[in-house]
Amino acid sequence: MIWLGRAILALVLLFLYAPIAVMVLMGFNASDLYALPFVPTLHWFSELAGNDRLIAASRNSVLVALVTAVVATALGTLAALALSRRSFRGKSLLRLLLLPPIAIPWLITGTAMLVFFYWTGIGRGLHAMILGHVALAIPYVVLVVGTGLASLRADLEEAAMSLGATPFGAFRSVTLPLLAPSLVAAALFAFAVSLDQFVVSYFLAAPGVTTLPVEIYTSIRKGFTPEINAVSTILLGASVALFLVFAGLTRIGGERERR
Amino acid sequence: MSAPSTPEGRRARPSIASPEGRRARPAIATAALLLPAYAWLLVAVFLPLGAMLFFSFLKTNPFGSKAPLVFTGAHYLAFVTRPYLVDVAITSLRLGFWTTGICAAIGLPTALAIARATRGRVRQTVFLLAILPFWTNGLVRIFSWTMLLRQGGILDDLVHLVLPGVGSVGLLYSFPAIVVGLVHAYLPYMILTCYLAVAGIDDALIDAARSLGARLPTVFATVILPLALPGLVSGSILIFVPVIGSFMEPRILGGRIGVTMGTVIEDQFTQAYNWPLGSALSFTMLGIVLAIFALFSSVLRGRLAP
Amino acid sequence: MSGVEVQGIRKSFGGAPVLDDVAMRFAEGRFTSLLGPSGSGKTTLLRIIGGFEAPDAGTVTIGGADVTHTPLWKRRIGMVFQSYALFPHMSVADNVAYGLHRQGIRGAAARAEVARALALVELEGFDARRPKQLSGGQQQRVALARAIVTKPRVLLLDEPLSALDRRLRQTMQVELRRIQRDSGLTTIFVTHDQEEALTLSDRVAILDGGRIVQEGPPAEVYERPATRFAATFLGDANLFAGTVRDGAVATPSGPLRSEAPLPAEGAPATLAVRPEKVLPLPAGAAEPAGFNAVDATLRQTVYAGATSTLLLATRDGDPVKCFCQSRDAPALEPGAALRLAWSPTHTLVLGG
Repeated sequence: MIWLGRAILALVLLFLYAPIAVMVLMGFNASDLYALPFVPTLHWFSELAGNDRLIAASRNSVLVALVTAVVATALGTLAALALSRRSFRGKSLLRLLLLPPIAIPWLITGTAMLVFFYWTGIGRGLHAMILGHVALAIPYVVLVVGTGLASLRADLEEAAMSLGATPFGAFRSVTLPLLAPSLVAAALFAFAVSLDQFVVSYFLAAPGVTTLPVEIYTSIRKGFTPEINAVSTILLGASVALFLVFAGLTRIGGERERR
Repeated sequence: MSAPSTPEGRRARPSIASPEGRRARPAIATAALLLPAYAWLLVAVFLPLGAMLFFSFLKTNPFGSKAPLVFTGAHYLAFVTRPYLVDVAITSLRLGFWTTGICAAIGLPTALAIARATRGRVRQTVFLLAILPFWTNGLVRIFSWTMLLRQGGILDDLVHLVLPGVGSVGLLYSFPAIVVGLVHAYLPYMILTCYLAVAGIDDALIDAARSLGARLPTVFATVILPLALPGLVSGSILIFVPVIGSFMEPRILGGRIGVTMGTVIEDQFTQAYNWPLGSALSFTMLGIVLAIFALFSSVLRGRLAP
Repeated sequence: MSGVEVQGIRKSFGGAPVLDDVAMRFAEGRFTSLLGPSGSGKTTLLRIIGGFEAPDAGTVTIGGADVTHTPLWKRRIGMVFQSYALFPHMSVADNVAYGLHRQGIRGAAARAEVARALALVELEGFDARRPKQLSGGQQQRVALARAIVTKPRVLLLDEPLSALDRRLRQTMQVELRRIQRDSGLTTIFVTHDQEEALTLSDRVAILDGGRIVQEGPPAEVYERPATRFAATFLGDANLFAGTVRDGAVATPSGPLRSEAPLPAEGAPATLAVRPEKVLPLPAGAAEPAGFNAVDATLRQTVYAGATSTLLLATRDGDPVKCFCQSRDAPALEPGAALRLAWSPTHTLVLGG
């Protein structure tokens, strides 16, 4: 049974990673027709340096992701504090309202944003993408920070206040430091949601103002070149690095502590 | 050890003593914490959805003309007036069912294998590897399949290495290619939800079933499957919904045959500029998805009822 | 003056009353236990005194000043939580110094205070440790040091010993009492453990259903319980219900007398006697003159080392208990007949 299990795992991991590995390798292959044999080169990466469109799109992607991470973490954390630490009527409804941004297909959310933003004069462009990305990231931030808050006992703040700390002082000196890993994890998550977001960006991109995934999509539809592999590899590398930091901060997948 | 479940145990939020005049403050503070996030969601998600619903009843795009708005429900009859849309919808549903089914068939055994055939650091690494694709760009991953599937691609090369005589097995621009790409894109969801469901199964539970005389297939059917069911259900929802709305995957991997609800809707917004029709199709799609879930949940409830 | 007084305290959670018109004085420098089963409102009362909860009605005064509307962080109380609530991201020294810093005491002055507090709880040299690196008993001491280092007006203890094992608990009881005596702090201690309450306290208040049913020195509350609840919750009691007739209470086991005043002739009354006050005599033996006596059948003997408990039944089948030294326990088989006797001095008349 154990060996059958390990064989399944090996096959599934092969299925998940083989295409990505091939894609990455082809970014380092000299042939512009993806032909073998493999001749290693950094040619396609150096080509990127001269591609102003891709560079501009990358800069936009990072800018939108940074703003999204900061804004979504701030707003989501405030909401998480209210949702997990305060009692009020309508709480379950408010929790429910966090689902549509996650659950409704991005195609529908994205086109709805396009309709509304265009109609109201908000228009398209980076500001519209930020509006959309933050909305998509807020539910995830509430989830990550809410999980972090749930692991903090409420009586720590009470203890601080009984020792003379004001509510804000107790929050700043006790809750905030203990919550810091969750906040960083939430910000990374929001950053990744934005960086990898294609559908919503695609509908909200203005002519000449795109992000990296939108630019990659346009290039793919024009025809495949190893340059796309190179830029995809860079995007992939950034996501993996973010994930590893996130995993380290939240300790997901770790063995549960035994009592 | 733990706080008693009596009123004394209630510590959710103490109403900390404060001067009379400041009694209203907690409510204001709560609202102040919630307002920014929900105002943002209102402007960026809920008002747009409302606007889209409004648009779906307009006869034509209202932009650039001073003519009064004309309302119509005709766009919701598109499936009647444009019969080819029925075929498109069937293609989307087939994609949804194939992808979800294959993900379930692979995802549950994988989750079980992680939970029962690994431990310690290996388990942690395998689990992280299985969910890492969440974080990578879906577009890039779909793109990577074109490397393998196209005529003269890696898969072709591998097949020819073993069987030099056969013609090209290039799968790109076919229905199976889209399914393979979508399974690759969404399998991590199923592995995650199933793993969360089965990771908690106690070894003692399985030992208990076996000590009562159950063989392994019986253990699977009577112990593991019922406990994994919530994971399978939530995984299926997480996969089915976005697959029905997918448009980038069918376009890249399906080429000309990749016409789905998603691509038709996308066309209305980016090529045909018939936003009212696109809006109506979006809500029709949402309606179909909800109807399928309603059907499924009543079936499941019927099965799970004692 | 740092005595505490509560008056007319009412509190309900979600419509369910938890405290119902509670009034009580906690004398300065005294150790008072609030004793009651879970749900009796004892923790809620403690939290209202501390300012963690606001009462629906009533007043709280500390040292004569009304603090009902003083926020928690201005009340100058010290609280030891059931979970200890030590700040996990701070060292032991930083935990203890937290309250001093809030008072603006920093640097060498704070360090000296911290050192003194840690010495008081016998944790010298643990300054740099994290709470996680400490045992349960050590964490408890840190929590105590943190609560008293700020020289609070009142020390509040919310079942602080309940997470410790039996042996450690007994050690900490002695420690707690020593530290309280040394510091002279007015102390309010919440517990559901009757033995702990009797051992530690200057005064005990018994709560039931959101009311204080009896309050006084431990020996008085134990020896003279006012109600059936007080008698059975604090210690064990054998109960005999009957009707007052000719200056005694006629019960199914015969007439029983008490030295305490009885209700009016013909009224129903309940008498109680503590199991350790009951003498087990051989069947048919004569009881000491003036003693109450009933016939009973032995059901079971529960041996617990130094002492044994005899579980018996009266003629009517009502259960009766008798504690005795194992040395004195009659060597009898279940089913044996006995005569139980006790003095009218030890016969309590219960109200309620």
